[in-house]
Parts: sequence; structure tokens; C-alpha cells
Amino acid sequence: MKQDDNPSPPEAARQAARLPLWANPRIGLVVLLIALIALFTTLRPAFLNTQLTLVPMQSDISVYAVVGLSQLAVLSLGHMNMAVGRMAAMSAFAAGLLHDRLDAPLIVCLLGGLATGALLGALAGLIIARTGVNSFVVTLALDFALIGLVSLLYATFTDGVAFGGLPAGMSALRTDTFADYCAGDVCGPEIPLLAPIALVAALGVGLLFRWSRIGREVLMTGANAKAALLSGIPVNLRVVQAHALSGLLAGLAGFLLSANNGSFSAGVGDGFLLPSFLAPVLGGTLLVGGAVSVLGTVLGTGITQVIYKGLNLLQFQVDELKLYIGLVLLAALSLDRLRHVLAERRGVPA
Amino acid sequence: MTSTIETPTERPTATAASAPGVRLRRTVRSSEFTLVAIAVIGFVALTLTTDGNMLSSGTLAAFFRFLAVPMIIGLAQMVVLAIGQMNLSVGVLTGFCAMVAAWAMLEAGLPAPLAVPGAMLLGAAVGLGNGLLVVFTRINAFIVTLATMTIIDGLRYGVNGPGTYQDYSAGLQELGQASLLGFPVVFLLACVVAAGVWFFFARTVPGRHLLASGGSPFAARLSGVSNDRSILLAHTLSGLLAGVAAVLTLAQSGSVNASIGDDLLLPSFAAPIIGGVALAGGVVSVLGTCLAAFIVRLVDVTQAQFAINRRWVDLIVGAVVLGVVLSGAIRQKLSRRSS
Repeated sequence: MKQDDNPSPPEAARQAARLPLWANPRIGLVVLLIALIALFTTLRPAFLNTQLTLVPMQSDISVYAVVGLSQLAVLSLGHMNMAVGRMAAMSAFAAGLLHDRLDAPLIVCLLGGLATGALLGALAGLIIARTGVNSFVVTLALDFALIGLVSLLYATFTDGVAFGGLPAGMSALRTDTFADYCAGDVCGPEIPLLAPIALVAALGVGLLFRWSRIGREVLMTGANAKAALLSGIPVNLRVVQAHALSGLLAGLAGFLLSANNGSFSAGVGDGFLLPSFLAPVLGGTLLVGGAVSVLGTVLGTGITQVIYKGLNLLQFQVDELKLYIGLVLLAALSLDRLRHVLAERRGVPA
Repeated sequence: MTSTIETPTERPTATAASAPGVRLRRTVRSSEFTLVAIAVIGFVALTLTTDGNMLSSGTLAAFFRFLAVPMIIGLAQMVVLAIGQMNLSVGVLTGFCAMVAAWAMLEAGLPAPLAVPGAMLLGAAVGLGNGLLVVFTRINAFIVTLATMTIIDGLRYGVNGPGTYQDYSAGLQELGQASLLGFPVVFLLACVVAAGVWFFFARTVPGRHLLASGGSPFAARLSGVSNDRSILLAHTLSGLLAGVAAVLTLAQSGSVNASIGDDLLLPSFAAPIIGGVALAGGVVSVLGTCLAAFIVRLVDVTQAQFAINRRWVDLIVGAVVLGVVLSGAIRQKLSRRSS
């Protein structure tokens, strides 16, 4: 699902077909993922235990894949969103408030949270588009401001750092898998209810960037803003839309994590920043903009979560965990660089 | 004190026009002047509203003592911003250097005069490592330092786990509490380091080369400047300054643990950005960065003096950064329209 800034998808597909197999980074990620799973299973057979490992891991992958997609939405422009975590926290707050004060049902809470995230993202996009200031600075400042605001709001509207209640159906999202729902004798697979939500998000983003006019124009803006402007693309509008999408996905991630944690709390989104960059970058999305890889982002999330879970099972300490994640990232990037250089030498555009 | 590569070309036009008037107008318009004004007004306002409590020697000393580390960490980020790159590992590197130095003094029995330069060397070495990775892999520095940040974070925790080191060196801690001419020694040391950084960018050949690489790598290469060397130098210097911040942290706080440096990353960007340093590279402002750290510290002290919720500080600092960014963009637009 890697999109180059080629004018038409068929042409891109033809070009992709010409690439040698080893030069396709997604294949490498799949091989790495399988190798990691095999490694951890041999070391600890409990790694394939459904209840203990696989189901929680799928929930985590669902949450963090959406976090990665949120960053990917602005990486497509060559921008960054340093406020992903706090946008998620604000969305979770809005959802919690809707339930706490208005007793709104689950779906209204979700939509309210998504709207909050999208509005915050649009605000960041608007400031960036209007002033031309670096997105890093704008979203960093927004992050600062929101860190303060989130805590103050929780302090004002709750007795502590979390809302007490949850909308009906939210705890089912956390605990249930499809195996709990049976039609007659046929039960679903052991997949948590969160997974299809993330899958829909990933498909949506993938389709948006591949087939929709807005998505293609966002990518063109990312590849060369000046050329895009001269071709009649409303560049500023696309910047606002991409940031709004990033905020929307951050909001969704905040909602999913709240469902996973079992409460709307101020701590939602605290650890989002690093994974938000890890997943797209491991998946081959560049920081310069103009090209995104949705499938790569999902695979990148899978790899990081498998490493976390595996090292956890092997009873590694927190510090060693971080060390290895950092080393894997460096190694993956260096290999990717090597692959790029080799492909260039063979005259293949990678 | 803004060091720009354009300064030499600007100077002749200034002297050609009516010199004093133009110079005055330029001074008043500079972002440093605005920052000085904000800093002075803020300080006076704080003094008046607290009935002069700000000027009592204890409060004043504490104000400057805890200004030292934010200043240095802002400069550590600034030297990398000068070449248009970022260093996300400054905060955790400060913590790591502090932990290693404390370990060296307590468990390896190294005397403080050896551990202090050791911490600074360690910082410089890690910075050099960042630079080498950027130069050899050609991966974006943001990503490289994101990865090394994660690694150093793990190493920092690995030094002593969740434990705390204290009573590592009586001499160093005495130095942290000592005052000279009414100012805390740590603050004066930070000022000396800042002056050194200013001298480096304003008066030395490597410093000018570094700014040239940041301003336009292509033009710099055509002029015979090695961009790779500039990248290595900037990252090494950034690491060295993080090491200095670690030493100052060791001196001023009696104990260190693995959380040192966690709250430094965002302020490290806030100070240079408020101070007028461009993220695109080529421009640095030592004075602006230090003044911005001063202003952030003012907000901090206001919070302490009035017992306001700690969270308002983040909100206000965020709003200030956004405001500065917006006003800068508006000022640029206006000046373009007038010219």
C-alpha cells in the first residue's frame, strides 16, 4: 500500500511489480514479524497462549496502530503532530464528560470524542496553514497548552484524574472477544472487539490516500507544496484537512485506549508520542512527506508490540525493554537505508 | 547577540542611512528587545504583587539557581537547531550523565574532580554517536535521536534501577549552594557557558561554518565547508552541553534518580523557539534563548508564589510559545508589506 506520488495508481502498481522482491520493505517487515513470533514462541511457549498473550496483544496493536495512523496522516504532508497524546486525552475527556453530565450513550460519546480531536487537529492545521510556521513548533506549543488544560479540566469536572462511570457497552469492548458471541454452536474467533474498529480506520486511511481526490492531493502537497499550489490544489485547505484527520484518529486512539483501560482518565495518551513515530517510520513512511504506507504502519505496530510482549514474558526489565526497542528501530532503519542504496545501485527506484 | 550569517551584508546599509536612528529602530524591533521588555516587566510586576518578596535574598537565589539548567538545556537544543536538525535525546542524556557521574563517585570511588569532566565527556561522546549515525545513515536526525533517546532512557534506568543516589560529593553540593556577589555559583557557571557558546557562534571559524551549513547546506558545500563536520560538531556540542547540565543538576540538587531529565525535553525546545531561533537552521540567538528560559522561570515562580495549580504553568508556557510564533509571523508579514 505504499503510495508514490505517481499520477495514476495503475502506473504505480506497474512500477511496484518491477521491483525485486527483496527491495519491497513490507515483505521484510512480514518476515521480521514471523521471525520474532517464532523466536519468542520457542523461548516461551506461553507466547501463543490466547487468553494470556494473544488477546491483550491484539487490543494493544489495535490502539497503537491507530496512534501510528494519526501521525501518518500528517507525515503525508511532511508535517509532524507532537500533540497526538494530548489530542487523544482531550477527546477522551470530551467523551467522558458527555457520559458523566448528559448520560449520553456509547456511540454519542465516541462521536463527541472524535469531533473534539478533529477540531483540535483542524485548529493546529489552520494555524500552520495561515502563518506558515513549522508544524513541529505549533503542535509542540499546542501540546504544552493541552497538557495543562487536560489536568485542569479533570480537576474541575471530576474528583480526581478520571471519570467514575463508563457508558454502557464500553466494558464489553474491553473484556469481550468475538468468541463470547455465538450464533447457535458457531462462535466467533478469539479477536477482541476493538480490532475491527482499528481495521476499519486503517482501511479508511488506506483508501483515502490511494483512491480519493483529497488523499492524492494531500500527498502531492507533501511532495511539493509549491507545485501543488501551481496545479490548482487548495494547499491550505488540504493542510487543515490532513491535520484534522490526524486529530480525529488521535481521538479514536484515545477512545480505544480508554476502553482498554476501563476508564476515561487524564493519563490517556501519555505514552503515545514515541509509538506514533515508531510505527510509520518502521513501516517505511518518510518524514519528508509525499508518500505513506498504511500497511507498513500496521506491520510496524505489530512488530513493536510483539517485541514488548515477548520481552515482557521473558521477564526483561523496563530499562532493557526500552534499550532493545531503540536498537531494533536503529537496526531496521539502517537496513532500510542499505536496501535503498543497493536498489539505487542496481538502477531500481526503491 | 543574534548570530546570523546575513549580518555582514546588513551592516553596510545600516551605516549608510542615518546611523543612530536606524540602529535604535532596529534594536527596538529585534526579538531580543521584546524579550528583555517582557522579562523586565514580568519581574517588576511579580515583585510588586508579592510585596517585594521576590527581592528577598532566599527567593532571588532560588530563582537564579533553578534557572541554570533550563538555560543550558535550551542551548543544547539550540546548537542542533542551528544546523536545522533536532536532538530529542538531550533530556534523557542529561539524566544519564548525572546518574553515571553519581555512580562513579559513590560506587567506583572516583573523586568529584574526575567525575565532573567524565560526565561532560560522556555527554559529548553520546552526542558524537548521534552525529555519526546521522552522517553515516543519512537518516533524519529527528528519527535517529528518537531511537537513541529510547536507548539512553533504558541505560539511564539501568544505572541504578529505581534507586536514588545521594551524598555523592560534599564539595559539589557545597558548590551548588554557594553564592558569589549575591548570585548562585551554578547560575554564574551557566552564564559563562552561555558566553562560551555565543563566542563560538559569533567569533570562531567552526561556529561560522556550522551556521553556514544550517543556512544553506548547498551553498556551504560550494564554499568549501564540510556539512558532515558541521553535523558532527553540532551534535557533539549538544551532548557536551547536556553533560554540563547534568553536572549542574548534580550540584544543585542533593540527590539524583532515573527520572532526572524527563521534564527537560519540551522546555529545551521552548527556550530557543521563544528566543527566536529558526527551526530551519542558520540562525541562533544565545541571548534570546537565555531570556526565554528566564521568562519561563518567571511563570514557574509566579505559580509557586501564588500557590496556583502547577498545570497552569504548562498552559501558559504553551500559550506564550504559540503567541510568540504567531506574532513573529505577523511581524514578518507586516515588514514585507511595508518594504
